[in-house]
Amino acid sequence: MNNPHHLNPTSLKSRFTTRFLRALTKIRAQKPISSSSPTEIFRRYRRIKVAADKSMAYSVRSRRIWSRAMLWKLRSRSYRRQDPCSGRRFGKTNQAIMKKSSNENTTTRREDGVGFVEEADELRQLVPGGETMNLCNLLDETAHYIKCLTTQVQVMKKIADFYSF
Amino acid sequence: MEKDQVFMGEGLNRAAAVQAGWNSCSFGMEMETDELNCVGSCFLNPKWHNSMDQSDPFESALSSMVCSPAASNAGSTNFPASGDNTMMTDLIGKLGNICNTGDISPQSLIKPPNNNNNCSSNTSCYTSPLDSPPKLNLSMMGGNQILKHPSLVPVSADPGFAERAARFSCFNGLNAQLGVTEAEFVQLTRVSTNQSIMVTGSQVHVPDSNKNTLQDGNSCSDKRNSRLSRCSSPENGDSKDESSISEQIPGVGSSIKAQNDANARKRKSMPRGKAKETPSPAAADAKIAEENDESTAKRSKQQNDSAKAENKENPKPPEPPKDYIHVRARRGQATDSHSLAERVRREKISERMKFLQDLVPGCNKVTGKALMLDEIINYVQSLQRQVEFLSMKLATVNPRMNANTEALLSKDMFRSRGSLPHSHYPMDSSALAFGLRYQPQQGLPMNNGISNDTQVQFSMNPANAALHKTQGLQLPPVDGISDANPQIGSFWDDDLQSIVQMGFGQNQPQSCQS
Repeated sequence: MNNPHHLNPTSLKSRFTTRFLRALTKIRAQKPISSSSPTEIFRRYRRIKVAADKSMAYSVRSRRIWSRAMLWKLRSRSYRRQDPCSGRRFGKTNQAIMKKSSNENTTTRREDGVGFVEEADELRQLVPGGETMNLCNLLDETAHYIKCLTTQVQVMKKIADFYSF
Repeated sequence: MEKDQVFMGEGLNRAAAVQAGWNSCSFGMEMETDELNCVGSCFLNPKWHNSMDQSDPFESALSSMVCSPAASNAGSTNFPASGDNTMMTDLIGKLGNICNTGDISPQSLIKPPNNNNNCSSNTSCYTSPLDSPPKLNLSMMGGNQILKHPSLVPVSADPGFAERAARFSCFNGLNAQLGVTEAEFVQLTRVSTNQSIMVTGSQVHVPDSNKNTLQDGNSCSDKRNSRLSRCSSPENGDSKDESSISEQIPGVGSSIKAQNDANARKRKSMPRGKAKETPSPAAADAKIAEENDESTAKRSKQQNDSAKAENKENPKPPEPPKDYIHVRARRGQATDSHSLAERVRREKISERMKFLQDLVPGCNKVTGKALMLDEIINYVQSLQRQVEFLSMKLATVNPRMNANTEALLSKDMFRSRGSLPHSHYPMDSSALAFGLRYQPQQGLPMNNGISNDTQVQFSMNPANAALHKTQGLQLPPVDGISDANPQIGSFWDDDLQSIVQMGFGQNQPQSCQS
């Protein structure tokens, strides 16, 4: 294979990788992995998963509806964890932002003759922020989301492989 | 008013009366109203009613005026398709007169179906010049104001105008040629607005040229000069038409032209939809004629190309990527704004589905949107599960954090996978899990058992151990296996099945508990 060592520093892949690695090192620095109790591992797993999602969402910034939704979700979750009262405040302001951004792209969800509303709803649940999208945008966001997910999986696989040998 | 009665009584026979009074504008006014009635009743009434809410009050008043006497004719006036062309030409001439005033009320009533995208601009374009004609038409009842309109003069002077007008009036579901007359009609209106007689002269032979120009103008049509200037910016093949039109019509009542074009285009599509058997050769000839006319009339290089492109694109709905989307009604399809918008949406959706089909592996065999969506859903779910699995793996893996680790990591990130010999096994072992995860159309129960529950992830720890055990197995190196899930799928089929059974046999009871 002729994969060059040089990479596009602005590509989604590189952005995600750097962020994720940073987060990983932070997580590992927090607690040594000496303890292998399931709870510990589970907590770390959760943290790593959140870090992965966060890095991916930050790499995409607010360019996509799903990334905005994911960022909002993460932020609200973290805020709620820190301060239960601030969650409400945060929820209001950010929901306003989310709704504003989603209103640009949403039309009334309806059976427009295409006939696969059930699958579309299921897809909406999968893609973050999908509930607010009409089918057209949903498919758009799904395509980008799939692309980002595959990148994420690739990078994480490489990291895992690197660590596991 | 006996002539009116003649009109009312007969179908096209009124054209004879029209012919008699052809040169008199006052008579024409009366005739126009009647023509409007018959035309409207035959063709435009449904549109009128549809667009009534959108039209300005003048149009509504006019339509009410027209429809009431036309109501009686609505059923009866089915223009005989043939043999009345001469009469039709007269009628069309009349209509051309009407249109020269700025717009015929039916035109204004036939609002563009682009209302969804840019209603205001379209309607404004249509209505602004249309405002005058309704008023004029209203005054036609009095029979005086049309005479005042300057644009009538050149039109009536056109010898071929009557012929075209007659053809134009036949757009009510008759032959395509008749439908083509709309283009001519619009062209005529354009001519009248431009007061360029050469166009009319050329147009005698080729009604279809109007279509091209109309289409071009239509694509460009909207607010007067601003839109046209915008239209002049080059786009794709569709834009060629637009640009040609815009070039040809620099600042000359072009918006009106465009509007007329839009109207004519819509009208053309409507009769096309209505015409069950449109003689395609006739249409083709008309189109070719249009092309010729356009080239002669407009005298711009691009016109030939644009006309040809337009002819080719006639069956397709061009969607210039402007700030609003012009949609053409396809032949044989409904042309109201809702269905057009629906069609646009559906096309967008199918376009995106095709794109997704390329993204998602294994989607090529699947046909049908619902199945494809299911595939897409499965794929997204599998990817999400993979992320979870990998994060679990990272959580369990004991990192050896050297000083170089991170640098090595980032370097490794972008190196070819094949260059990491050790990575085969872990990748393969991971691939086992991934292969389990994503099985296009292979409903293995293990899929469900392994992934969704986070608690189950704990059971993956021993699964990880099992995975690592499988590393010792000689798996065929698969380059880029982790890059392509379809590879995993196929991989799964071939070699991993035995391996998985071995590796996961002990873990399946655990992982399948959930």
